[in-house]
Amino acid sequence: MSEGINLGETIVFWVCAGLATLGALGLVLSRKAVHSALWMALTMINLAILYVANSAPFLGMVQVIVYTGAVMMLFLFVLMVVGVDASDSLIETIKGQRAAGVLLGLALGVLMVWGIGSALAGVAPAGLERANEIDGGNVQGIARMIFTDYLVAFEATSALLITAAMGAMVLAHRERWAARPTQEQLSKARFLSGEHPGNKPSPGIYARHNAVDTPALLPDGTPSELSVPRPLRARGDVRPVDHADMTEIAEIEEVDAT
Amino acid sequence: MSAPAFGMHLADVVPFNLPSIDYRLIAPILILMGAGLLSVLVEAFIPRRGRRPVQLIVVFVALLAAFAMVLAAAGSRAVTAEGSIAIDGPGLLLQGTLLLVALLAAMLMAERMVDPSGDAFAPRASTLPGSEDERQFTQRGYLQTEIWPLFCFSVSGMLLFVVSNDLLIMFVALEIMSLPLYLLAGMARRRRLLSQEAAMKYFLLGALSSAFFLYGSALLYGFSGSIDLPVIADQITAKPSQSWLLMIGAAFVLIGLLFKVGAVPFHQWVPDVYQGSPTPVTGFMAATVKIAAFGALLRVLYVALGGLQWDWAPMLWIIAILTMVVGSVIAITQTDIKRMLAYSSIAQAGFILVGVVAATREGLASALFYLIAYAFTTIGAFAVIAMARDSSGEATHLSRWAGLGRKSPIVATAFTIFMLALAGIPLTSGFIAKFSVFTAAIAAGDTWLVIVAVLASLVAAFFYLRVVVLMFFAEPGPETATVAVPSVFTTVALAAGATVTVVLGVVPQPVLEMVANADVFIR
Amino acid sequence: MNVYTPILVLGILAFGFALFSVTLAGFTGPKRYNRAKLAAYECGIEPTPQPVGGGRFAIKYYLTAMLFIVFDIEIVFLYPWAVAFDQLALFGLIEMVLFIIAVLVVYAYVWRRRGLEWD
Repeated sequence: MSEGINLGETIVFWVCAGLATLGALGLVLSRKAVHSALWMALTMINLAILYVANSAPFLGMVQVIVYTGAVMMLFLFVLMVVGVDASDSLIETIKGQRAAGVLLGLALGVLMVWGIGSALAGVAPAGLERANEIDGGNVQGIARMIFTDYLVAFEATSALLITAAMGAMVLAHRERWAARPTQEQLSKARFLSGEHPGNKPSPGIYARHNAVDTPALLPDGTPSELSVPRPLRARGDVRPVDHADMTEIAEIEEVDAT
Repeated sequence: MSAPAFGMHLADVVPFNLPSIDYRLIAPILILMGAGLLSVLVEAFIPRRGRRPVQLIVVFVALLAAFAMVLAAAGSRAVTAEGSIAIDGPGLLLQGTLLLVALLAAMLMAERMVDPSGDAFAPRASTLPGSEDERQFTQRGYLQTEIWPLFCFSVSGMLLFVVSNDLLIMFVALEIMSLPLYLLAGMARRRRLLSQEAAMKYFLLGALSSAFFLYGSALLYGFSGSIDLPVIADQITAKPSQSWLLMIGAAFVLIGLLFKVGAVPFHQWVPDVYQGSPTPVTGFMAATVKIAAFGALLRVLYVALGGLQWDWAPMLWIIAILTMVVGSVIAITQTDIKRMLAYSSIAQAGFILVGVVAATREGLASALFYLIAYAFTTIGAFAVIAMARDSSGEATHLSRWAGLGRKSPIVATAFTIFMLALAGIPLTSGFIAKFSVFTAAIAAGDTWLVIVAVLASLVAAFFYLRVVVLMFFAEPGPETATVAVPSVFTTVALAAGATVTVVLGVVPQPVLEMVANADVFIR
Repeated sequence: MNVYTPILVLGILAFGFALFSVTLAGFTGPKRYNRAKLAAYECGIEPTPQPVGGGRFAIKYYLTAMLFIVFDIEIVFLYPWAVAFDQLALFGLIEMVLFIIAVLVVYAYVWRRRGLEWD
């Protein structure tokens, strides 16, 4: 290690590198995709701290804003649109996939060790001062590149952003073909329809099963169909009334009282 | 940290050197981007019924104005915007062609007569196919006018793509060109699931090719320390030993571009996307993306990788042969006319590659001529496909075209012209194009390649002529498609496509001279 | 001392305090468990079974995510611009204003077409 590293930086490195590795392990080992995504966010934030600690503030900011913010956001939303609970099945669909995966992973590891190793051994770094002396800092350097040399590319990027937003609107925004009914209209329609205008009976009665899938009980003890939302009924998700529960609730109340 | 930075006085600040940009030379790009912005504003603030006419005015005025600016810049040779944009003969020629072809494509997209329920696009692309919402929007005559800003941005990306002189701006241009096309591909009014599937495939494979291009650019930067095409060329000549960074980098950048061109083995997206997209978009994409991608490919090969010619030429040799053979042979087995033209476009890419491989001034000129000829023919062919219909939409199965020549001789004749041109029959533009590409290749010593190319064209001629025979020598039956009566838009586009195809075949000299004068890239 | 050390110390302090409070509550509070208390919620709505294939979110969340990303990327460009504002001078300001106007145009589109309404 060179002489420019002090104690604080060493601590930051070990803490953040440890957390980043933990996040990476969590990403791979989690069963649920959403958990993986959150672990990945942990890794990314720690990498951002490491970038900033290494005097690369722009990289750190981009890591937080773009990767932890935007890319992770997109990951999460894609996962949610696909289905939160969708965990991968462990059955191989292509024969030898797992063996090939392990092999390629090892190959990548060797490649990275070799690449980083040769970069550490064979190359003399120019140093931060040399890199920053032209513009007085790497953010300023980036600014000069973006706003002078690559100005056209920068301004043209706005066309990409516009296309992205417009594409999202065109594909995902549901427009209405009729004006949205106001509350007054809805209310009138309800009374004019001739059906019972009031609330339907609410589901569930007692605390343990005060859930939308538990029907309310009529005075004679039979469940009320109306109290359960129609989609649940159609799906067959209505919980059967369990009269034993009521005695159990009485027991709990006794226990709490003592 | 640099504490003194906080105490700095304004007087101490050394401002950056301002970039020098020749706005006159990049005006076509700026006009199309401005038109895109304007047409987003139209979408935002003009009431629904008024949007279409205003959009059409914005788009057509912008295309014509940009074309005028290209004409005004004719003969310029300059590198501007700090070396990121190179305006030169091939660039301007391709920009001009792109704008004219885009004009015809815009006319096809604006067509509202051939489909009784509206244009070729879903009334609202966000509705579920077959839903009540979709029915209601259709009934109320909604039109998805967002196609126009997307179209403008796509064209501006193409214009930038053919003149970009560094890999970064080339990548940005590639994306500006492609993103709107991914969207447009999924917005067909009929057979929407097929269209959405096409968009998905196009997007995923397009993203993959972009990744290849970007990774290759990074490797080339690692090799040369720059992303400027001329600097990369200098580094290739300056460094005596060739590193694997350069080899893999160059290969990946070329793969990215060959994906867009639709060369075998990077062609898998082509048939599905051509078939699923709304026909005007297919025509637009088939003609213009091919021009833009070949423009960029030629620039990368001639400007940046000229010193590597002995390395890439054999690779492109093989790819050209594969592309011609696979495209032509698989096209024979197709029963859907859009799919057949998709494979035909793959084969045509192979013929253009023959001119590219030649790597001479004649090779470049012949490839440029081929691109011009191919683009106008293609747009015309898709105009006809959009018109042959039945009650459920376009009748694209080949059996539905049997006897079409008896039923609608004029349209069938136009389609025959396009088929003959694609087959390379004399007196059409396709013949001159093939002839000049083959002569350039023979002059460069690629005789074997030309022999394969001639054989592939013979195979290709079979399926092109089969359609012609089917149209004119079969009796029209109840299954024969009806040719819808189009508005002035499609009529003009079709007439222009046919006229250019014939004129380039009969009096090709002016255009041949034009490409011969524009056959050197600026370095 | 490194300039980041105070931040690190503050982080450790915050983490320690959180850990301390949570642990302390476990030691000091009374513990009386029964089945109802161990349920996901002590009272109120009990989680209903998820439909097969997992709960899916409406596509409109995707629109929000996409819009967020668009303006997020814009911010990335604002950061170096702000840092080098002095060197960039008026030209830089004009460039950035043009860029912001371009992105603002699509914002106007989304807003006018009710893309921001939670309908």
